[in-house]
Amino acid sequence: MNNKRKSLSIMRLLALLLSLAMVAAACGGSDDAGGGSVAESDTDLTFAIVAPSASDDLAFTQSMVDAVKALGIEPQITDGTFVVEEAASAIRGYADDGVNVVIAHGTQYGASLAEIAPDFPDTTFIWGTATDTQGLDNVFAYYPEANEGGYVNGVMAAALTNSGVIGVVGPVEAGDAVAYVNGFAKGAEAGGAEVNITYTGSFGDVALASEAAQAHLTNNADVLTGSAQMVVGAVTVATGEGVPWFGTQANQTPMGPDVVVASQVYHWEVVLEQMIEEIEGGTLGGKAYAVTLENGGLEIEYNDGFDLPDDVKAKAEETIAGIIDGSIDAGV
Amino acid sequence: MTPPPPQTGPPLLEMRGITKRFPGVIANQDVDFDVRAGEVHTLLGENGAGKSTLMKILFGLYQPEEGEVLLRGEPIDITSPSEAIDARVGMVHQHFMLVPTMTVAENVALGIKSDRGPLTDLDAVSERIREISEAHGLAVDPDVEVWRLSVGERQRIEIVKALFRDAELLVLDEPTAVLTPQEVDDLFVILRRMTEEGRGIIFISHKLHEVMALSDRITVLRNGRVTGHTVPAETSRENLAEMMVGRAVKLSPHRPDVTPGAPRLKIRGLSVVGDRGTRAVDQVDLDVFGGEILGIAGVSGNGQRELAEVVAGLRKPEPGTSIELDGQAIDSASTRERRDLGLSYVPEERMRDGAIGDFTVSENIILVDHGSEKFSASGLLNFGAIKDHCNKLVEQFAVKTPSIETPTSSLSGGNIQKVIMARELSAGPAVLIASQPTRGVDIGSAEYIHERLVEQRDRGTATLLISEDLDEVLGLSDRIAVMFEGRVVAIVDHDDATREGIGLLMAGVFDEEPATT
Amino acid sequence: MSEFLTLTVIMATIASGIRLATPYLIAALGETVGQRSGVLNLGVDGVMQLSAFFAYWTVLETQNLILGVLAALAVGLIMGLIYAVVTVSFHATQGISGIGIFLFGLGFSDLMFQRQVGTPRPIKQLQEYGIPFLSDIPQVGPALFEHNLLTYAAFLMVPIVAWVMRSTTFGMNVRAVGENPQAADSLGVSVARTRYAAILIGNTMAAIAGAALVLQLGIFQPNLTQGLGFIAIALVYFGAWRPVGVMGGALLYGLVNATVLQWKAQGIIPRSASDIAAMAPAVLTIIALVVLAGRVRPPSALTRPFTRH
Repeated sequence: MNNKRKSLSIMRLLALLLSLAMVAAACGGSDDAGGGSVAESDTDLTFAIVAPSASDDLAFTQSMVDAVKALGIEPQITDGTFVVEEAASAIRGYADDGVNVVIAHGTQYGASLAEIAPDFPDTTFIWGTATDTQGLDNVFAYYPEANEGGYVNGVMAAALTNSGVIGVVGPVEAGDAVAYVNGFAKGAEAGGAEVNITYTGSFGDVALASEAAQAHLTNNADVLTGSAQMVVGAVTVATGEGVPWFGTQANQTPMGPDVVVASQVYHWEVVLEQMIEEIEGGTLGGKAYAVTLENGGLEIEYNDGFDLPDDVKAKAEETIAGIIDGSIDAGV
Repeated sequence: MTPPPPQTGPPLLEMRGITKRFPGVIANQDVDFDVRAGEVHTLLGENGAGKSTLMKILFGLYQPEEGEVLLRGEPIDITSPSEAIDARVGMVHQHFMLVPTMTVAENVALGIKSDRGPLTDLDAVSERIREISEAHGLAVDPDVEVWRLSVGERQRIEIVKALFRDAELLVLDEPTAVLTPQEVDDLFVILRRMTEEGRGIIFISHKLHEVMALSDRITVLRNGRVTGHTVPAETSRENLAEMMVGRAVKLSPHRPDVTPGAPRLKIRGLSVVGDRGTRAVDQVDLDVFGGEILGIAGVSGNGQRELAEVVAGLRKPEPGTSIELDGQAIDSASTRERRDLGLSYVPEERMRDGAIGDFTVSENIILVDHGSEKFSASGLLNFGAIKDHCNKLVEQFAVKTPSIETPTSSLSGGNIQKVIMARELSAGPAVLIASQPTRGVDIGSAEYIHERLVEQRDRGTATLLISEDLDEVLGLSDRIAVMFEGRVVAIVDHDDATREGIGLLMAGVFDEEPATT
Repeated sequence: MSEFLTLTVIMATIASGIRLATPYLIAALGETVGQRSGVLNLGVDGVMQLSAFFAYWTVLETQNLILGVLAALAVGLIMGLIYAVVTVSFHATQGISGIGIFLFGLGFSDLMFQRQVGTPRPIKQLQEYGIPFLSDIPQVGPALFEHNLLTYAAFLMVPIVAWVMRSTTFGMNVRAVGENPQAADSLGVSVARTRYAAILIGNTMAAIAGAALVLQLGIFQPNLTQGLGFIAIALVYFGAWRPVGVMGGALLYGLVNATVLQWKAQGIIPRSASDIAAMAPAVLTIIALVVLAGRVRPPSALTRPFTRH
């Protein structure tokens, strides 16, 4: 009798757990959407997006949803699939339904895609962020050349520092974050500044990011930047101490209206448009596209609330032009 | 049948016509029980007879279906232990209700409103504990943590707890189970003093000589019903046992004179390190002769268990230990080799070391012999032979079981022990080690097990009997070895052994030179 | 190396360690009370996430830090009540119930954040106050005696919790119920009521820890705690269920983290060893637990629901 009651309450708990897990699954995210300036496409192709977090997360997932919509396309959406198996079945389902283009918006979906894509040779799969297509000829990949905006931010930071020391707060030494950090360091060092880089070891630990920023300030840094979600902790330190901050991945101005100088933002619609052209031309995949300063997929958005000296801004614009025309090498 | 109980005072407690049913069981049926101020009223009965149900009703843990409880002549409805405490009813539980990490004073103060509001008032509590212990001869240090104390001291704290709450009616549930005979005597003095103050005591026990010694009145329960009210002057241990069991019981088996043969088990210099890392058995020499039962008496934890485990081969002795069985050295032999030489073992933890609960009765009976030629050929079990063998043993050992295919765990403790005895004795052992053979076993089964042990002795088996039940050791043993702190401090012949003498030795009171064989 | 040894840097590192230790300390002290009563709450992290969000949201809307802390307190009480009902009244297994609370806190705080706030926006942070005279001590003063009120409260709670456990009848009941609930029950101490109270205290303190975290940072984002609540539970074992031990563990954890960050900023730890160094606090905790294991004993009734029989 006792056992029965126990198993009943465990069942109840499991039900509770499941519903909670579903709530949890519906959330999460990382990046931010941009406001692109690309002409609406008049394609007849049908689109679907499978993404790990909510489509209105004001972050990673929404950046892709907005990008597709910016092209005048109304996609079908399966969001909140942070369980990879669920995403895989959604991707396969859309392909089965005859959707022309399935966007798998998550690096973690790569392995599933390698299994699914060969079964649907007439469907295009778009996968990112990733720098290669895993050799599949019906897969397009996309990624940001984050080092370019990093370089531009670095040049401005070097111009703003008085102490000559700049602090960088990174997560784990991997992915876009490394490209941004290395590009930033290269730009700042080109401007004659010393750059101290801390990888906290976590993408999410805001408290560590905050203390890492404090540690940089203790070591005389007077300009800060950083990459990944946890930098919100560093931005508030910058705000508290009145130290200029450079952002990336999203326009971080709302987090630090007084200290954010500029942010590098991503516009996926630029590369999506190129992919659509290829598909309509009969090429269903096989290429990786980068959003860059040159193609307009990367953009430096300045904070009007920060009093950026004109000469520094001019220097930034010069640097952008230099990277676009190849006279400056932001590569790392 | 019995004369009306003596009037020693006004009725303190009356329980009238109490009936309590559980699904499929009547735990109490129309039970009448009363206690007067100034008397010890014993509640006697086997496990499951309904004693604890009756006490749980008194303490508000169960509500009776029928009947009423009167305290000091007034009907009372107790629904929780704290209401019982408020009504000045106290209980000393068999398993002590103490928090080992807290001090004596904290344990006593628990649950009592402090004079300092939310703050504890331990100084005042300690002071009062000292007063109580002085007044009642209960030596207790209020400031020491309970885990440091001996079992006897812990029991005194339980009594202090009840006195601190000024309990007028005190229930003691099997209070002597863990005490040495001297501690029992001390306890009885304390209890007597409490009755002289006008308190009433309910004494729950199945140790008949203690019941005879302490009680003013005795009520016997069997299967939830009262089977007798009596007073010690008009009854006997045999009489009480009959009321408990429902038929005549022989308490001490007849031990015919047998001339002991050669030593079959020879132990020299046995030492072993116990679970706590200290030496549990220290240089023990023992000879057990064919045709004798050598009983080991001692307070639990003085090395008896480790001694048995070493001889059985379950625990590794220290170097220098020598054990011979019929002249063959076995101290480094495996348990299988020991069995093949004729060693049988009835372990203390019968459900852990003696039988596999999920196995059927027959599987447990053949457990150690299932690979032998008798029961298997080429690795296949011979079910026909097994069945015949098991049915024979189940009948021979009077195991009460629906069938030999019944899971062993569904049998009563006494019947599980009989299954183990059947297996261990059927081989006709040269040496038998029996650890606590009747602990938790009903009187009927205990009587039967005792008879079998004596029968085996008569056939020439050398038996090492380890028991915390001194009556059992005194009743069965030809010689009694007393263990204290890991050493054998004396060996006494059956005819020279008295409870008092053995009790003193168990408590560590002996001449400095330990006895040898 | 020499740079690290300047007094300024050492003191800044200590101050950083104290800030980092604060939420761990508050949560672990609360969990200590709960565990001493025999209840393990694996949901600490979830309660922290929820209370951190509600504290953040309240301050975002009202700019009032006190209201933020009160909102967190309310969350702690509600979650504590739920956990107490489930584990004490319904005797549910504590392990899995706590995980349920954790997942709920994680998921619901995330959902609420996405729906109600979206982009992380900064809020007012806890202000630091110097203790008169003490904070004027050169170098040492600002590091030790210039913190926010919740940090002071956290360290003040250490002797208070120790005193409550040792010297009040409530504390005695908590200890008894955690060691031998049958004994407590037999003396009329309500096991259920005592455990309800201990759970509510534990959850309320977890909630304050969540508030301290978010109000120190001045910003919220989903999964803000990053498992902080679980480390806090480990610190209870680390501290052998004693408030002072728990404080030692929290400070050690915070100071090691702060030192690692300081050394990274100065390049003393090479970038190639960065990720390994990030594990240092966790590794240290595990080593300490292994060393301590067996020497200290948890409350005997920990995780065991109480029923009369």
